[in-house]
Amino acid sequence: MTQTRREFLWAAGAAAAGLAWYQAQEITWTAEQVAEAGWEPGIESRLASACLLCPARCGIRGRIVDGRLVGIFGNPLHPMNRGGVCPRGIAGVQALYHPERIRAPRLRTGARGAGGWQALSTEGAVALVAERLRGLRAGGRPDGVAVLAGYCDGTMHELWRQFLRAFGSPNYVADDYRDGIDAVMSLTHGISRRPAYDLERSGLVLSFGAPLFEAWWSPLQAYVAFGGSGGDRRDGSRPRFVQVDTRFSRTAARAQEWLGIRPGTYATLALGIAYVLIKEELFDADFVARHVTGYEDRLDAAGRPQEGYRSRVLRQYRTEEVSAVTGVPVERIVALAKAFAERRPAVAVIGAEVMQAPDGLLGGLAVHSLNVLMGSVNRPGGVLFPDDPPLEPLAAPVLDASARAGVARPPISGAAMPFGDGDPARRFAQAVAGAATPPEVLFIYYANPLASSADSGLWTRALSRIPFIVSCSPFLDETARYADLILPDALPYERWQDAPAPASYPYPTWGLTRPLVTPPPGAVHTGDALLALAQQLGGSVARSLPYASVEELLKARARGPFAARRGMTLGDEFERTHYRQMEERGWWLAEHTEFEAFWDDLVARGGWTDLFYDDTDPARLARTPDGRIDLMPPQLQGALDAAGSGPALYAYSAQPAGAPTPEFPLRLMPYRVSTLASGTLALEPWLAEQPTLFPDRHWVPWVEVHPATAERLGLEDGTMLWVRSSRGRYRARLKVFPGTAPEHVGAPYGLRHPDGELANPLQLLDGSADPLTGVPCWFTTFVRLEQA
Amino acid sequence: MRGDVADKLATLPPDEQRLLRPLVDTSPRFYLLAGALGLVVLWGMVAYSLQLRFGLGRTGLNRPEYWGIYIIDFVFFIGISHAGTLISAILRVSKAEWRRSITRSAEFITVLVLGFGAIQPVIDLGRPDRVLNVVLHGHLRSPLLWDVVSIGLYLTASTIYLYIPMIPDLAIIRDAGIKAPRLYRLLAIGYRDTSAQRARLERVIGVLAIMVIPIAVSVHTIIGWIFAMTLRPMWHSTIFGPYFVMGAIYSGIAAILVAMVVLRRAYGLEQYFKPIHFDYMGRLLLLFSLLWFYFTLAEYLTAFYGGEPAEMRTFWAKVAGPFAVPFWAMVVCCFVIPLVLMCRRRFRTPRGTLIAGLSVVVGMWLERFNIVVPTSVNPRWEMESLARYLPSWVELSILAATFAGFILLYMVATKFFPIVSIWEMKEGREQSVRDVAERVASYLPQPAASAAAAD
Amino acid sequence: MTRWGMVIDLGRCTGCAACEVACKSENNIATVSPDQADLGRAFAWMKVMTHVEGEFPNTTMRFVPRPCMHCDNPPCVQVCPVGATYINDEGIVGQIYARCIGCRYCANACPYTVKYFNWLVPEWPETARAYLNPDVSVRPKGVIEKCTFCHHRLQKAREDAQALGRELREEDYQPACAEVCPTGAIVFGDLDNPRHRVHALKDDPRAMRLMEDLGTEPKVYYLTPRD
Ligand SMILES: Nc1nc2c(c(=O)[nH]1)N[C@H]1C(S)=C(S)[C@@H](COP(=O)(O)OP(=O)(O)OC[C@H]3O[C@@H](n4cnc5c(=O)[nH]c(N)nc54)[C@H](O)[C@@H]3O)O[C@H]1N2
Ligand SMILES: Nc1nc2c(c(=O)[nH]1)N[C@H]1C(S)=C(S)[C@@H](COP(=O)(O)OP(=O)(O)OC[C@H]3O[C@@H](n4cnc5c(=O)[nH]c(N)nc54)[C@H](O)[C@@H]3O)O[C@H]1N2
Ligand code: SF4
Ligand code: SF4
Ligand code: SF4
Ligand code: SF4
Ligand code: SF4
Ligand SMILES: [Mo]
Repeated sequence: MTQTRREFLWAAGAAAAGLAWYQAQEITWTAEQVAEAGWEPGIESRLASACLLCPARCGIRGRIVDGRLVGIFGNPLHPMNRGGVCPRGIAGVQALYHPERIRAPRLRTGARGAGGWQALSTEGAVALVAERLRGLRAGGRPDGVAVLAGYCDGTMHELWRQFLRAFGSPNYVADDYRDGIDAVMSLTHGISRRPAYDLERSGLVLSFGAPLFEAWWSPLQAYVAFGGSGGDRRDGSRPRFVQVDTRFSRTAARAQEWLGIRPGTYATLALGIAYVLIKEELFDADFVARHVTGYEDRLDAAGRPQEGYRSRVLRQYRTEEVSAVTGVPVERIVALAKAFAERRPAVAVIGAEVMQAPDGLLGGLAVHSLNVLMGSVNRPGGVLFPDDPPLEPLAAPVLDASARAGVARPPISGAAMPFGDGDPARRFAQAVAGAATPPEVLFIYYANPLASSADSGLWTRALSRIPFIVSCSPFLDETARYADLILPDALPYERWQDAPAPASYPYPTWGLTRPLVTPPPGAVHTGDALLALAQQLGGSVARSLPYASVEELLKARARGPFAARRGMTLGDEFERTHYRQMEERGWWLAEHTEFEAFWDDLVARGGWTDLFYDDTDPARLARTPDGRIDLMPPQLQGALDAAGSGPALYAYSAQPAGAPTPEFPLRLMPYRVSTLASGTLALEPWLAEQPTLFPDRHWVPWVEVHPATAERLGLEDGTMLWVRSSRGRYRARLKVFPGTAPEHVGAPYGLRHPDGELANPLQLLDGSADPLTGVPCWFTTFVRLEQA
Repeated sequence: MRGDVADKLATLPPDEQRLLRPLVDTSPRFYLLAGALGLVVLWGMVAYSLQLRFGLGRTGLNRPEYWGIYIIDFVFFIGISHAGTLISAILRVSKAEWRRSITRSAEFITVLVLGFGAIQPVIDLGRPDRVLNVVLHGHLRSPLLWDVVSIGLYLTASTIYLYIPMIPDLAIIRDAGIKAPRLYRLLAIGYRDTSAQRARLERVIGVLAIMVIPIAVSVHTIIGWIFAMTLRPMWHSTIFGPYFVMGAIYSGIAAILVAMVVLRRAYGLEQYFKPIHFDYMGRLLLLFSLLWFYFTLAEYLTAFYGGEPAEMRTFWAKVAGPFAVPFWAMVVCCFVIPLVLMCRRRFRTPRGTLIAGLSVVVGMWLERFNIVVPTSVNPRWEMESLARYLPSWVELSILAATFAGFILLYMVATKFFPIVSIWEMKEGREQSVRDVAERVASYLPQPAASAAAAD
Repeated sequence: MTRWGMVIDLGRCTGCAACEVACKSENNIATVSPDQADLGRAFAWMKVMTHVEGEFPNTTMRFVPRPCMHCDNPPCVQVCPVGATYINDEGIVGQIYARCIGCRYCANACPYTVKYFNWLVPEWPETARAYLNPDVSVRPKGVIEKCTFCHHRLQKAREDAQALGRELREEDYQPACAEVCPTGAIVFGDLDNPRHRVHALKDDPRAMRLMEDLGTEPKVYYLTPRD
């Protein structure tokens, strides 16, 4: 008895000691961690750069301590974002130090996609590519090299094109998911350019589905306008934001007004507003008379009478009918039209989703016609067509005979659509997967079609026909996994690049990134790798790219703004106002007489901008033959007439495609979450933890469904579901949300499950496209939900 | 039992024989039960070691559901602890003679359960290794510190209050020489039961009994205040102090009843725990069930009447929401069952009081649950999302181990100390019968003759 | 007297959550695993709270960014048994991590639920340690943490101002959330200093504080949206 008691006491004592040791261990561990984190104050600096995580290209300042990037803040000198940044930009540090980064070049060893890799040096990798390319040229097939580039702008875009041209290939394939809005501008204004919207100085911003506060071309531009901290509004007033949207998005939630409408009825609502503007004579009759054709009925070239915009609208868009089609009450349509006329300057913004429809081009024209009616073009607060930054062009390409022959051959992706080039990447994949001779070498830059395209099967087939695939991705994304060679790019915080403000921003602005921290030894800036490759190839290719590095190339291009006698290196509010006022009076004062000083300042401040827009220049209004905006573009009329019974311009047509079936009763509404950094990477933890709008949702991809719909389906909030269309299925968790329209499924894309499984609603899409622009339709697919 | 011990026991008077037998005679059933309880305790220690190593994340707690099982147990056990000291002190002070056989078992409950209650907040700490900070950096404006002080005082006072009245019995064991002679010589601190010693003992007991009452009342008042001093809905209430004290006594009475029934069966103490004891304790239970109802009604009615939105969210969560089951189970256990049973004399038997007592013990645990959890998961700010709480296996294991540990220690205590006070029984027989007769006589008007004689 | 405070203009806030993520980056706030997040154990010293009303197409939503209110009469400080949460003489309510015993009493006492507890050992994967802010300590398991008004920035700003031999200006000390907010919805400064914007803004007719009736005297003010 005593024996056992003693033993027990001993055992208890030992257990207690063990516990104490355990506990102590944890505490020392934490202390070590603090020490390792660099507790002592280090050498610290804040350097200007630009964020390359989305097309907005905000100016940022990186906080660097002891060679580590520990924080990203906005650059207050950048006129577009003025010191603000979005969550995604801040989370860039987590991308930089992402555990899954590829830190050195890799060569495939086993079968494709099997995951066998062998490390090699950067020089070795470049030499390997050079050898392949030399082989192509020797075999008289320089066009056997192709480049698939995702969102790629500025100098990198030009560098790739120059390289291909000098080498002799026409196969530059943009995988950048265009929305076709440039076609709208080209048809009406004769200016083939995405329009800029002067939100800051606008009185009323009427957005047709553009996710201005989420994933727009520049959410920061919209934020600054909404906050009223930008522009030269001395009265402290702010623009009023009205959001027309099928979905209750964050933009809809924060706009002063939201009109929830039925899918596919944006054009109808726009023309319903036009009806009120015309009927009540609220539009800018003087502007229309002076600058617009196609408003009134006229005779066409053959002398046949042709109905004008006015007659069509008055004939077909009576407010009651528009109300019945769109689901927006009559009073609200009338009130909105009146507000649009009263709160001038007002601007109507075309959202990509207007364009991503079977009649998208016509929808875009209808929305933009509101700007034309109100004269909100080439006026402060309206639609503007600014210049590009006046950069020094690249050295003239030198083409030898072989290159000239290659470039002359037809590109693999074939010809564009009649009014735009909606989806060249898809056409490329179709051609390669089909009969066309596949390229011998494919470079993949900033694109991940195996995960992000609507048809990964097609892309797998296409890629399997290409003998040598080089991925430049710094992450092992799906497509990189399928590559033969990975030459990992340095991340934006480690490299020189330019960051022109997106087309939506009305002032030519040229941001710069420069290395804030040193890249891992095996990562190489794709631009530098390309220049090195050109040198190795020698001859005319080397002569076309006579730059030692991208830094040198950028410096050469900066001679443009230096010599332009306009604009300024980024400056604070005072400097901005000062320069704008001077330029308005036709003056300009050089900040720098020496180019080197100019360049140093450019780098230190983060870029160059010219905040003056000359709205008296008629070439910024229309570059059509008669110099007038055409609401009834004859080319389009002709194309529609040729097609016969299809939709006509400004003609009401019932929803052209997509209807629920008993099997697939719910409409799928893919949308881009604002925190999305790169559709095909797992989200950075900070972003995965806080999907905005639903603070209670973390990490796991979700779909939104109206409470009544969920109840009808017998599904509870939080259930794991399969979202299934006739094309496939993916897994997501149900979020019951009263802001979603009944019988719709709001489906954020770009999300992944914590285990990496992709949840991509785009791969469920029915594959239809606008026949005029080729832009894929994203809102015509129907699905059902099944418990997973 | 060893032969020589049996011989020695046989020489003792009958009371002592009966009451000291458990100290030297242990059945295999006892070992079996103790072993089983020991295993549960060990299991709980494993669970706690995991919690210690990995953090409170091993519990089901979250934000804003910051407090759960451990705090429920804390309030519950400290409540039970009011069994002994408070009840025995009140009965002593009020000279209720029927108390003599039950005070010791009640006081043991107090001391043991108080220990188990007091460690709960330590188990609940994120940094138990820093518990000394409470002393090193104590901030007196925190109700938690008041609590540390009052529980410390209470534990000390009730340990003394258990020990002092036990000294004569310890001396009896020492003198009987039946067990661990050195231990009992030490514990009995030279008590020889001289009349001077006895008088001093009685005086000390008298003073202690009076002192311990306010301390006990303060303890549970302060525990109530821990909740009431926050701004959380349905915690921030002035009734909490008295409500907690009343509930504590209530659960204490119930716990004594359960202990009495078990001891009576286990050690054959039918002679000591008589029907009259169960009848009287049953009446007390009845009184407290009514009091409980009164306090609960007052608490909920005022909350309901005020209709403050934040309060009402918690209110409805309890009355007709996700916590309706524990809430109404509490009402049944704390009010309906004891009321129905205890208002009839024929249920104020060992069996009837056992059922009522168990029901109240369970009900009072549920009451602690209904105080802690529904408020925790219903934050005051309506924009904050509601929390959920599902205790993890770690918490449930520690819960089980706490109960098992308490029962185990109580069992072991009955092996070392007589669970009914021997000397007080003796005193009762020798002296109180006379005293009470005199006292009762003194309440009455004097007979006419002697009154005249006194004039 | 200096009393640091914040004014958040709900009419300007777009709910973008830049403030939330900036705070995580600035203050080394740990990320928890997905299932821990599901249990309600994720950290967000600054949290954009939302409130939805109405059904399609009449839905409305409110966004309220919520840091610690730095109450002038802070209930959390009252109840802490060890003084691990305290209010300094400039009104900043801070935490002493090394002293906290993890009782979570302060968390229960805070009516704004702004306190976060380290339920587990916070994980800082190897690569993540690179971007830790050296000015802010990481917290061990078992302690409470919350928004500090980035007061490590105040220390630095003071030193810098002193080195330059001038007074501390409003723009010298701005917390991370205010610095990044793209709409300028967060204004920070000394409520008692007429030269700071918050001084006038706190008396704006649109200004209100959360649960003012509790008497906690928050130093975070909200401007209600105009329309
Ligand atoms: N933050 C951020 N911004 C980005 C990017 C990024 O990665 N991050 N990427 C840029 C790129 S590459 C692109 S392509 C653009 C994408 O920009 P957008 O295409 O403008 O953005 P999405 O969010 O995809 O837009 C989908 C919207 O369509 C609406 N919608 C839903 N159903 C229907 C319907 O039936 N008909 C119509 N017409 N609309 C409907 C939804 O409400 C949703 O708001 O964003 C650019 N901007
Ligand atoms: N699941 C999903 N599918 C989508 C979308 C989505 O958001 N989610 N969005 C659709 C739209 S609108 C578009 S535009 C496309 C976009 O789709 P993609 O054009 O494929 O672009 P992303 O997926 O954003 O990024 C492509 C790859 O670029 C690589 N990358 C990241 N940083 C760098 C870098 O610094 N240098 C280089 N060289 N590479 C880098 C990453 O590995 C990433 O996988 O996807 C479409 N499909
Ligand atoms: S809007 Fe785009 S460019 Fe600007 S900070 Fe966010 S991710 Fe970067
Ligand atoms: S950063 Fe500014 S606009 Fe964005 S959520 Fe925070 S307060 Fe609102
Ligand atoms: S908001 Fe909460 S944590 Fe902050 S000071 Fe007030 S009571 Fe304390
Ligand atoms: S959790 Fe820490 S800070 Fe909070 S009351 Fe307890 S000891 Fe104080
Ligand atoms: S003041 Fe600092 S700690 Fe507080 S929410 Fe803002 S960034 Fe976070
Ligand atoms: Mo895109």
